[in-house]
Amino acid sequence: MTFDGLLKRPNSPEFKVLWKRASAQIATREMPPADEEKQPSEKERKVVADWVAGMNKLLPKDPGPFVIRRLNKREYGNTLHDIFGVDPAVARDLPEEVLGAGYTNTLSPLLIEKYLAIANDVLDRSFAPAGSKPTAVQRRLLGESPGRGEDPTVAARKVARSLARLAFRRPPSEAEVEVLIRVFSLARENGKPYPEALRFMVKAVLVSPQFLFITPAQANTKGPQDITLLDDYQIASRLSYLLWATMPDSELSALADAGKLQDTEVLAAQTRRLIKDPRSRALFDGFGAQWLGLDKLEGKMFDSEKFPQMTPKLRRAMYDEARLLFQEILRDNLKSTTFIESNFTYVNASLATIYGMEQSVRGEQMRRVTLTNSNRGGILTMPGILATSSFPNRTSPVNRGVWVLEQVLGEYVPPPPPNVPSLEKQDKRTVANMTLRQRTELHRSNAVCASCHKVLDPIGFGLENFDAIGRWRTVDDSAGKIDATGELPGGRHFTTPAELKRIIADRKDDFGRNLTNRLLAYALGRQLEGYDEIIVDQITDAAKKEDYPLQTLVVSVVTSYPFTHRRVTNTGETLNAK
Amino acid sequence: MRSNLLISRRTCLRGLGVSLSLPLLETMGWADEPKSAAVSKPPVRLGFMYMPHGVIPERFWPKDPAAFLSSPTPILEPLRGVLDQCLLVKGISGVPIAPFNGAPHALELSTWLTATLPDAQKRNVVNIAISADQIAANYVGAFTPLSSLELATMPQTHMEHQEGLHEAYYSHCSFRGPRQPMPAEIDPASVLKRLFQCRETGFGPTGKTATEPLDRSMLDLVLGGAKDLRRKLSHDDQQKLDEYLDSVRSVERRIAAIQARQKESSLEKARVAPSNTVAARAVPIDIKIPTGDKRSEYMQVMCDLNVLAFQCDLTRVSTYIGSTPNGVSYPELGFSDEHHSQTHHNYEDVKLDKVTKINAFNVAQFAYMVKKMASVKEGSGTLLDNCILMWGSGLENGNDHTRKNLPFILAGKGGGSLKTGCYLPDVKGNQGDLLGTLLTCAGIPLDRPIGIAEKQLPELVAT
Repeated sequence: MTFDGLLKRPNSPEFKVLWKRASAQIATREMPPADEEKQPSEKERKVVADWVAGMNKLLPKDPGPFVIRRLNKREYGNTLHDIFGVDPAVARDLPEEVLGAGYTNTLSPLLIEKYLAIANDVLDRSFAPAGSKPTAVQRRLLGESPGRGEDPTVAARKVARSLARLAFRRPPSEAEVEVLIRVFSLARENGKPYPEALRFMVKAVLVSPQFLFITPAQANTKGPQDITLLDDYQIASRLSYLLWATMPDSELSALADAGKLQDTEVLAAQTRRLIKDPRSRALFDGFGAQWLGLDKLEGKMFDSEKFPQMTPKLRRAMYDEARLLFQEILRDNLKSTTFIESNFTYVNASLATIYGMEQSVRGEQMRRVTLTNSNRGGILTMPGILATSSFPNRTSPVNRGVWVLEQVLGEYVPPPPPNVPSLEKQDKRTVANMTLRQRTELHRSNAVCASCHKVLDPIGFGLENFDAIGRWRTVDDSAGKIDATGELPGGRHFTTPAELKRIIADRKDDFGRNLTNRLLAYALGRQLEGYDEIIVDQITDAAKKEDYPLQTLVVSVVTSYPFTHRRVTNTGETLNAK
Repeated sequence: MRSNLLISRRTCLRGLGVSLSLPLLETMGWADEPKSAAVSKPPVRLGFMYMPHGVIPERFWPKDPAAFLSSPTPILEPLRGVLDQCLLVKGISGVPIAPFNGAPHALELSTWLTATLPDAQKRNVVNIAISADQIAANYVGAFTPLSSLELATMPQTHMEHQEGLHEAYYSHCSFRGPRQPMPAEIDPASVLKRLFQCRETGFGPTGKTATEPLDRSMLDLVLGGAKDLRRKLSHDDQQKLDEYLDSVRSVERRIAAIQARQKESSLEKARVAPSNTVAARAVPIDIKIPTGDKRSEYMQVMCDLNVLAFQCDLTRVSTYIGSTPNGVSYPELGFSDEHHSQTHHNYEDVKLDKVTKINAFNVAQFAYMVKKMASVKEGSGTLLDNCILMWGSGLENGNDHTRKNLPFILAGKGGGSLKTGCYLPDVKGNQGDLLGTLLTCAGIPLDRPIGIAEKQLPELVAT
């Protein structure tokens, strides 16, 4: 870690990131190195930590940007489902995207082409062919054809307005309705009958930016840099896409129409309502799976000879186990520490073989079971999660350690320097009869490696009783007996995975803060900046007493300043409308 | 296991009813050039194919220029038979990645065609530079239905923030603008559908084209509405909306190109257009979509699609991210270790051998594409003669992340502009120089150097 280049630019965001890392390393006693003669006192360490933490409070209040956001693949498919009743898989041709903080929010010709093709597909599926009796969906969206003597354009205008309200998720402006009428007229002039002309208009709606993006209802061109409250429609969409990955339902839309969503109580109540709905599994599929790494499980490669049981069916059960735990914690507003220590889980027959419960669990239906073995339960020892952090053919104590530090405790683990000697480099005669643990420990005798590995490895060793797909074992691949004892900085010893979990669960403030950071970043669709720290402080302070219940955290995120506000930037070079 | 989907020449004709899918007819000339009595020259196509983590230099570079053709190194072995159509250049350095020293893998792919570093001040958003393929697409893209084709083997969803960099840097090589990474397609069936503008994958008589004649005018109206919306938006929103405007315009051009070809074809059929004797039409290559999960079969069908797109002049620019720098293993090669972990080999034989196999495997897929292009006749030569294909990696040696002598294999004569059949062991230049030279060979004018480029590399140019 070096501050050299940054001293010239003390205001750059990187500078703060570096200070934060430095402060964390001082706090965890990674720095200064233990063999340094001069060591700061406990008090001095705290002064540094408080000073770095305090830096963020000096920043001006800022909600960050919220530029018009394109619906991601899932949101787009679900929205088409809600409007047309089609299978959301209609969007399967779109490229996969990173959701949440890493979302690129960009558009390319490829996507427009696909949107056009999918629009055709949706209309083919949900509308009747030309000349046939209209489908129920058609009648719901387009009403009845105008009678004799009625002006078709007047009728079309009415349809355009209601359709745009639905698909744009906000009332359309007159100009926006006019564009749709022009599309309708274009089709009429080219000899299309009324229903076909409306169908063509619907296609135009589906490739309009107002459908593809969440756009503001009001013009937004005030000062050069402004902070504004989002309008009710933006809030409704933001909330609904966060929790359901689809458009607002009628109740939420009605509240937006009535201008009620600026009221924190109303917004909080709606958040709770949306969480109760089964559609809120979208928060796991989007956020939870990414946080826990389970989004990678489906496509992860395993050595098929060693682990023939890693079938798609088993992988799905592993995913669902974590999903159902997450959903229960969310729905019942359980303490977040339940993620680490829970005495229940969800299994089906496939997954029961991993748990050694195949005698008592039958059938492919996932069901809730109470666990009696305290080594099980919680995300640290969940088969799907243990599998995602393993190599294709063996466990990786290092990866597991990194996973716990980063994903659970929110610490930063720097990447290994290049040229570190790897395990396989070790002299074959020396290591011939060693367990993976013993070999990894040899590797730690190198001073460069030891500074990080002394924290990472004990955690990974503590989980060595679980093989690469999460089955309990007492000997590892070398047939050596597994030694799951260890010590973490601060002198805390453990002898079993259960005791390790206890130690990690005791760091509930770190866990609660990490969870809040990740939730907020996902909800905002961007990485957090220094000015967000104060919001995270507020959310965690309020939830600390109850041990950070998940639903409370979600409600706090939704009603937070950065979720309901945006920074509007009007400076910068004027771009020509190319 | 393979299902023999597709495209025979007959179904091609039947399903489309237009000449769009057919290889260019020599008598018709190329879309962008005025018809004249003179035999028109086929356009130059540019294709880029990527493999992460570098190579084992000792097993990649030939001993000396003479050995290049006669005794290929283990990694180049799959190219035996077409090495005389290849050019090997050593001495091309990558972008020095300071201040992102902790992000060797996040940057290997995203610097590959940009020769530029991300903006260090705003590293958690995408802000880099337009990539070489997109510079080319901007120039030649209007002549073909697709301005460029982006393919990949793995989804671009890797999540990692080396040095606080945005995850998109990890898995994208193509950038339409500094803030606009181009998504790549990974599903061959979907690519096929897109190439032929059909709604269903079957190309039978019922295959409907994806666009209707009125779509272009409709998009025009929608575009007008988007411009109204733009006026109401703040500056940062406008920038985002500009990507939409640009993309819709590009699709409009695409529809226009298709319509123009349909018209040309019907004129041809009605013998209105000057038509001499119909030259030998090359039969479009077969596309077989694999149903198993063998990586080689999958990559080869992606290569086939690339060949087909070039052969039928559906696009003149392509990128194919053959593999990505994260969590990829090669079970087909008989071991399950991940590519990355093996590249930190510390010169241990077992790992060196595995990496060599992985390198050769990737080169073999490239060789497959090269050979396929060489087998397709075009004009008086082959399709390959009119291509510039570049295979390479963003690292030299994955073991210590060096970027001094990046491995590049060039193939094709670029319409006579590029040297082939030799190994240039000491070219002094950087990645930007190489990309700029290749674009110049393809006839793309450059209004500014690509990334860190300082000069052209005349030693690559055919004399």
